Amino acid sequence: MRLDIVKAFRDSTGEMFAQIVGPVDEMAAPAMHPTPLAGRDVTAVIELEGEARGRVIFDMDLTTAMRLAGQMLETPAPVMTPMAQSAIAELTSMIIGHAISAINDQGTHVQMEPPRIGDAGLACSDICFETLTFPVQTPFGEVRVNVMIHDLD
Amino acid sequence: MFEMTHEMAAPSAPLTCLIVDDSAFMRFHLKRLMDAFENVVAHEAANGSEAVTEYARFKPDIVLMDIVMPGQGGIETVKQICEHDPSARVIMISSLSYHEKVEEALAAGAKCFVAKPVTTEQLRQAIDRAFTASA
Repeated sequence: MRLDIVKAFRDSTGEMFAQIVGPVDEMAAPAMHPTPLAGRDVTAVIELEGEARGRVIFDMDLTTAMRLAGQMLETPAPVMTPMAQSAIAELTSMIIGHAISAINDQGTHVQMEPPRIGDAGLACSDICFETLTFPVQTPFGEVRVNVMIHDLD
Repeated sequence: MFEMTHEMAAPSAPLTCLIVDDSAFMRFHLKRLMDAFENVVAHEAANGSEAVTEYARFKPDIVLMDIVMPGQGGIETVKQICEHDPSARVIMISSLSYHEKVEEALAAGAKCFVAKPVTTEQLRQAIDRAFTASA
């Protein structure tokens, strides 16, 4: 797997969290797993196309998702409303979009699809493969980021 | 407060805006930012084809356009809007801010580009640039 690409996703995660909801407390080093670590209540999936195909999967528990959404909406989100789901989807979209911008500016052409958001079942797929996962500790709870990329070059 | 300049100078005329984004949160958020300016009327569209229809209906002063949307994306939508109205003031607002994409958006007809996440001040400056570019 292209580690420079994984680094771009990791750097972007820290930068975008800081800009959108506040700085993260801690971001662990990426660890390799045979499949994604994504079985929690709220999952966002973004497909990648181009010279590095794959997907990025974010997962978090319901409380973390509602706290993050509440921060973005500037009002508490006591339940996971469609607007709260949209806020989480947009947070993940900005993280990946920012990373993809850095990757493209470095000469690797990668595109992204709009995020899909759902429950733990969303992460299940017949295209699961080796994944680099890094948990992110935020003031709102833990978010796991799973990066799965097929190298085509 | 947003200071109206250029063609917006008529103090009683509202600034009309079309917000185009598939994300309900982003439409909400951009409308919230626009509400910080005085005398703004905001319309919304959730996809490219809806944006073309709404633009023709309202002829807004400015359009805030996302790039990554299901179906017809923002770049193609800007092309369609500008084909019918070359004076359209479209501001691209996207997290996809790499050089090639920005150039593509500007070539399609966008007046300027702002990377997400966008602030009120960035939005104010972008609107001013869009009016300057179309003056």
